[in-house]
Amino acid sequence: MKLYAYCLVEDVDALDAIPLGISGAAVRLLQVDEFAVLVSNFDSDTVAVTRENALDHAAVVRSVLDRTTPLPFRFGTLVTEQQLSIYISARRPALQSRFELVRGCVEMSVKVIRELSSDNSMTESQGEITSGTTFLEEKRREIRGGEQRAAEANDISTWLHEQVENLTRDEQVTVRPSDKLVVAAAHLVARDKIPQYKETMAAAREIRPELHFLFSGPWPPYSFANMELEFKSQFGVS
Amino acid sequence: MSSSFDQIIVNEEWDSTDLSLLETLDHVLNRGLVIAGEITISVADIDLIFLGLNVLVSSVETAHEVLRKR
Repeated sequence: MKLYAYCLVEDVDALDAIPLGISGAAVRLLQVDEFAVLVSNFDSDTVAVTRENALDHAAVVRSVLDRTTPLPFRFGTLVTEQQLSIYISARRPALQSRFELVRGCVEMSVKVIRELSSDNSMTESQGEITSGTTFLEEKRREIRGGEQRAAEANDISTWLHEQVENLTRDEQVTVRPSDKLVVAAAHLVARDKIPQYKETMAAAREIRPELHFLFSGPWPPYSFANMELEFKSQFGVS
Repeated sequence: MSSSFDQIIVNEEWDSTDLSLLETLDHVLNRGLVIAGEITISVADIDLIFLGLNVLVSSVETAHEVLRKR
């Protein structure tokens, strides 16, 4: 029998009002060292990526967010009790460090989209390519357009960082320059600073009306749960 | 589903239910603690990383469509 793991928590020794988990299974707490893991029994070796399963996973993790800040496992984490115990015991210092980072915080998500005009993009076709020179000029325009988009995306990322740097404990930013300029940021925000964070973001929208913003949150700190741990497990550093 | 968020804003025009789902998938599938080698998922032979990228692209594309209709 495998276990489906939802999240790791600290200072929780009992559950109340936890929704059913994947496949309608009851969720329970499994104590490992000073931590506890929310798990449910799982009969198969494979977890199907379905809307229902993904939402069930999210609902279970979110259900403890009001009382503690969990470290969510990624969707589809199947383990035996022994594997879970070994994993946690082997990475105890790194997990403690992760909890120190996220304790008392939630994740706020921001995606910034900017539609570039054809004049700015410099990638629009200038007509049929009729010669090698025309082809090379076209390629040069493409390259310059890509560089321009990357520069603009980085500028937006820097500007966004400056807006909230005093309100965030940590951030993860992904810059994806494309036809639609996209900056995706996850901010780790102390719970008592959320109102101020929201006000700041509302003001940011007013400052940059040419940008489109997508805000969501608060989330469990999905984006802050794993980086260092992943690196250590990948490269065998303890 | 939409009740699980305090706020979701893409300007003023958005179906927050759809967006909530996309944002949830983006977080759940792309992020979180990984126990190396222990994740096995299935979705019609599409692997998790591929699906995750599509979720992000989908959310952007959908936002783009909404903005174009304004």
